[in-house]
Amino acid sequence: MLDQPALEAAGVSKRYGNREALRGVDLIAHPGQLHGLLGPNGAGKTTLMRVLLGLVRRDAGTVRLLGRDLEAAPGSVADGVAGLVEGPAFYPYLSGRKNLTLLARLDDHDRSRRADCIDDALEQTGLASQAEVAVGAYSAGMRQRLGLAAAVLRSPRLLFLDEPTSALDPAGARDVRAIARRLADEGAAVVLSSHDMSEVEELCSLLTVIHVGRVIFSGTVNELRRRAPAEVHRLRTSDDDAALRLASRRNDMNVVRIADGGLEVSADLEALDSYVIALGRSGVAVRELERRARSLESLFLELTGHGGAAPLSTPAAPDAADRGLESVSMS
Amino acid sequence: MTLRSLSAVAAVIDVECAKLAAQIKVRLLLAVCAAAPFVFAVVMRIQSSVPSDTLFGRAIKESGFAVPLVVLGFAALWAFPVLTSVVGGDIFSAEDRYGTWKTVLTRSRSRAEVFAGKVLTAIGFSCIAVAVLALSSVASGVLVIGPQPLVDLTGVLVPPSQALIRVVLAWASVLPPALGFTALAVVLSVATKSSAAGIGLPVVAGLTMQLYTFVDGPEMVRQLMITSAFGAWHGLLSEPPYYRPLVHGALVSAAYVVVCLAIAYRMLRRRDIGG
Repeated sequence: MLDQPALEAAGVSKRYGNREALRGVDLIAHPGQLHGLLGPNGAGKTTLMRVLLGLVRRDAGTVRLLGRDLEAAPGSVADGVAGLVEGPAFYPYLSGRKNLTLLARLDDHDRSRRADCIDDALEQTGLASQAEVAVGAYSAGMRQRLGLAAAVLRSPRLLFLDEPTSALDPAGARDVRAIARRLADEGAAVVLSSHDMSEVEELCSLLTVIHVGRVIFSGTVNELRRRAPAEVHRLRTSDDDAALRLASRRNDMNVVRIADGGLEVSADLEALDSYVIALGRSGVAVRELERRARSLESLFLELTGHGGAAPLSTPAAPDAADRGLESVSMS
Repeated sequence: MTLRSLSAVAAVIDVECAKLAAQIKVRLLLAVCAAAPFVFAVVMRIQSSVPSDTLFGRAIKESGFAVPLVVLGFAALWAFPVLTSVVGGDIFSAEDRYGTWKTVLTRSRSRAEVFAGKVLTAIGFSCIAVAVLALSSVASGVLVIGPQPLVDLTGVLVPPSQALIRVVLAWASVLPPALGFTALAVVLSVATKSSAAGIGLPVVAGLTMQLYTFVDGPEMVRQLMITSAFGAWHGLLSEPPYYRPLVHGALVSAAYVVVCLAIAYRMLRRRDIGG
């Protein structure tokens, strides 16, 4: 049996003027789990994070953080809850360490342990060597790391990470993922929204997809994968006509000619392997085979209306393929 | 208010003071408050003419206690709206400028505690700035001109010890309107999210109120002008002294403080912290 949820949000709605930013959003996150929050630009992910952290007032719905109603301490964030909200910001005229010291003071950290906690947070986020530099001189990636350090400083049992790797180089992104995973391993519930589909797939066991302020999918990654259409590959051969004729005799794939030359193959990996072998046996050489959209990306784009009007079972839509996507940028 | 809330407000004040201490403009302002009266007193001593069209200006070479009163008269017109707005008009809008509301408000302090801590810091700074200017004015007058007896506004000679007490009381009497201006700066800082407006508009408001005194407008409006309270100290340097303007000025100032802070808190409490 799962523990008591760290986060229970039910029917959360928020309206800005005539625009409904959130429409009855439900979200549950359990201790020890990394929960991915996906959605295209303007879907409402950041608004939802801000509502859950009490930065934005909701119009309807209930929110319980670590078993306590959000209203229990109006206007403040409960101990054990931390957030890295999109584009972390600090006082530019103070050093990274001084910024963290002031935030620790606001958290009522024990004075005797404050310096150690700050050192630890700086060390974890790879900022120790830059701790005395004024934040005004930090790069966007360093500010992102400092934002994570500020969140880690609260020893979170429920952590909201809003696109935490967006400004980071690959090494920085890897460090952030490692911290998120470690916190989850230590029992924290981590809710993570990300630009990077592959990152969410890699890190999260549960996913919630939001589109136009509404939850359109919530479940495990495997459940999503089962609904996913075939992957899309671009294929160049020595004889595209022969390759098309060969494909037309198969019912486990869809192959079409594309405008910039070559073919687009929508098929699962097993069917693709078999097709490539068949091409070789027929004397058609495979000159190029490139993955253009992975199955979850295809599904995501379809779910959020970015994949054209194609039903879920059809291959990835043209605009997904047009991006040549290894990882799709969604927000 | 619980002990925990008091501790929380103290933590916010601690943080705000650390931020102010790191800002050059704040240190510069206090340095100017400390140095300017000395420069003024030295210039007055050296030059042959005196500012005879200013209250106590004629007496400036005859008694050092006239110096803080001339400075007070000048500051009431120009300096107090600036001194009391520099921190109050920036302390909230700076969070908007740096985008740090989301950083501050995702810690363990409530908006009410953050608001109280910031307001108390702004009020504390205004008091310190006025106190530094007052101390420096008195010290410069006594040290540069000398502690001679002072002739008050009704022509009575006041001995040095009495003159010192009255000068100190006169400076203390400007604290309520100074806090009223601080509260005005706070509400403008919260409402406009702009430090330029938070600092600049109280100065403009102060000048407008001063100009209104030259206009033959309704007396009721004149009574509500917070700048009138900056001149209430005249009653302390008359024989017999009169206190009604002081009481009236304090009440008007208190009304400004209560109304401005109530509006500012309501706005901050209801604000959605966006991107």
